[in-house]
Amino acid sequence: MTHAPILIIAIPLLVAFLTPLVGMASQKGRNVLVVVSLVFVAFLVFALAREVASNGIQVYTLGATSPDLSVPTGFMVPVRIILEVDGISVFFSIIWSIVSLAAAIYSISHIASETGQTRFFTLLLLMVTGGFGLMFTGDLFNLFVFLEIASISGAALIAYRTKFADTQEGGFKYIVVSAIASLMVLFAIGLLYSQYNSLNIAYLAQAIQYTTLDKIALALFLIAFTMKTGMVPLHLWFPDAYSVAPASITGMLVITSHACMYAAFRICFTLYGGVINAPVVGWILIIFGLLTMFVGVTMAVYQKDVMRFMSYHAISQLGYMWIGVGVGLAVLGNPGLIATYGRDAMSGGVFHILNHAMYKPLLFFTGGALFHYTGTRDLTQMGGLAHKMKWTTILYIIGTLSISGIPPLNGFSSKILIYESVYQFHPILTITGIIVSILTLASFTKAFHSAFMGAELPEYKGGKEVPRSMLIGMLILAAGIVFVTLFPSLVVDWAIHPAADSLIDQGAYINAIMGATP
Amino acid sequence: MMEHVPLDFPFIAAALLMGVSLYIIIFKKNLIKLIMGVAMLAAGVNLFLVALGYRAGGGAPIYTGVIKETMVMPVPQALTLTSIVINVAVLALMLTLVIRIYRHTGSLDSEKSRKLKG
Amino acid sequence: MTFLLESGYAFWNPLIWIIVFIVLAVIVYFFRRRGQKGYKKDTDQTRIFLCGEEVPEAGERHIRVGNIYWGFFETLKEYYEQILKPHTGIINDYILWFVAITAVSVIVLLAAGLG
Repeated sequence: MTHAPILIIAIPLLVAFLTPLVGMASQKGRNVLVVVSLVFVAFLVFALAREVASNGIQVYTLGATSPDLSVPTGFMVPVRIILEVDGISVFFSIIWSIVSLAAAIYSISHIASETGQTRFFTLLLLMVTGGFGLMFTGDLFNLFVFLEIASISGAALIAYRTKFADTQEGGFKYIVVSAIASLMVLFAIGLLYSQYNSLNIAYLAQAIQYTTLDKIALALFLIAFTMKTGMVPLHLWFPDAYSVAPASITGMLVITSHACMYAAFRICFTLYGGVINAPVVGWILIIFGLLTMFVGVTMAVYQKDVMRFMSYHAISQLGYMWIGVGVGLAVLGNPGLIATYGRDAMSGGVFHILNHAMYKPLLFFTGGALFHYTGTRDLTQMGGLAHKMKWTTILYIIGTLSISGIPPLNGFSSKILIYESVYQFHPILTITGIIVSILTLASFTKAFHSAFMGAELPEYKGGKEVPRSMLIGMLILAAGIVFVTLFPSLVVDWAIHPAADSLIDQGAYINAIMGATP
Repeated sequence: MMEHVPLDFPFIAAALLMGVSLYIIIFKKNLIKLIMGVAMLAAGVNLFLVALGYRAGGGAPIYTGVIKETMVMPVPQALTLTSIVINVAVLALMLTLVIRIYRHTGSLDSEKSRKLKG
Repeated sequence: MTFLLESGYAFWNPLIWIIVFIVLAVIVYFFRRRGQKGYKKDTDQTRIFLCGEEVPEAGERHIRVGNIYWGFFETLKEYYEQILKPHTGIINDYILWFVAITAVSVIVLLAAGLG
């Protein structure tokens, strides 16, 4: 199990380049290979999660005689490429593994009528590699490299259906935005390297002084990563890219946005954790979070394209996470306030990421099922689809109730944690949250009525329910929702609190690498 | 360890290059020009990284006739190489997508070729 | 008790909610069962009753998405005019926003260090 971190990154990478070879022999074999490798990776991720829960932070040094030899003998600084896995990275990688598995299974029949399917799966696995690498890496430059791997393959996948003009435009906007954001990240990495001569996050966190250059680097990191997550007012590319991608890729893009959120947390809490001007940065995140929630949901009510409508909701939900974690960051320097409500707010924000990563891809997948059935994304042309698509309807209802925070479902459990804790920080945050929640329910009801309800329309009489692999992909995520719904405290104790604590506890992250220094 | 990098011409050049390229990206509506802007931005960042690698009195990190003690740590050079490779991939993908946009819409203008809005 | 989630001030238990929903579903099913069963199929008895008027075709009587929440958009017309302005869909503007916000946050972070 000591080699689990590198295997989780290496297996999707190897299988990505095996896929074309196997795909030449048989399509079925290729599909089985992709799914089996992702199941195996998910298993490894869970094993690694157990390891992290029982033995603390896992360090894996590439090229060293022993994986935990992070600082070579005779050196004062870590020079090798180091993977470091703590509570928050393993939390994000669990999300990443489940959703990528569901997306791969969903893709099998979703893209069945397209050409170049083998290349689709190669790119999908490269994207999976990029995400895992981003979450596990212990140095800044690999963060940049894996971010670029995920962005390039993501842009190619958005533009996968080349016969439509809008997919090309969405892919182009995504790659331009990602390229500029990544170059700014690289520039910020250069700024840090120029002062501290190292790229290792733990070493930098120990050495960082918060000079003027560091502040500029922090702003570049923060805004570049928040642009990639889709925070208002940098969200403009977000619906363009999300609405045109194949639905399975939209699901992957949701968790890519979460991966960039992970990177932003890592920068704010771990890299700058000791020196950051926490209230200012926290308030920046909270104000942007409020804007994100409100503008996202009001734009969503307005939309008539089913995927665009859902992507504006994805933006709006990101606001809850920024508010929860932003409140945690704003009180970071104050252990008393952290104990009263800061930790709860962060747990709520992190918990909301888990819930969002379950229901949002599910909703996008049902949107893809509607597209599969009707051949359009335009809600004005839909109606009465519940007659033919019974499973999709049920899954859509589960997703809708969950995203709107209707009590028995998991969306509520994270929202109540956020509401109660951020109320003590500032009541306006909770009030906005509740208003946004109401508008979310209202707009999903509108979409539900116009797509599923009503009499069967004559133009959609002959169709059938979507193929089985699409249903299985959706059911995996629905099962995740039901699990989190039934056992909220289990999830909070085993996954959410360790994740939030590992963000707060910067010292443990540094010690895991630098502890061996003489 | 903590010495500040002296403000030197390479840094000014890198800053100018990045500023000009950001101007191009923001104000030039032609998509090919926009891609040129991204390429220049990448070049600016790379120039910045390479300039960081200079150490007064240091030797090139190549194992032929350089005294081991004065050899510089080749990290910025490695970063630049990787970043150049990545940017080649990014630019190739961008150009591919622009050609496809041009075939579909018959325009290279970022405003005229736009279909997604609002 | 793994079903219970305590949030500091309150608790909530999904099991209670599920039981409530099951009870409600049973009540609804009970009323539905009490409906009239002895109707004649394929006659006018199964048709939609609309004050005796002719019922429009399925495609025409479905309320499409553009007509839902008309009043909401009419009230917030000015807000939507303002909020739709930045959503131009032009890639250059997206980058302009990025550069502007980065500049603003650099200034905010530097200014916060001075005070």
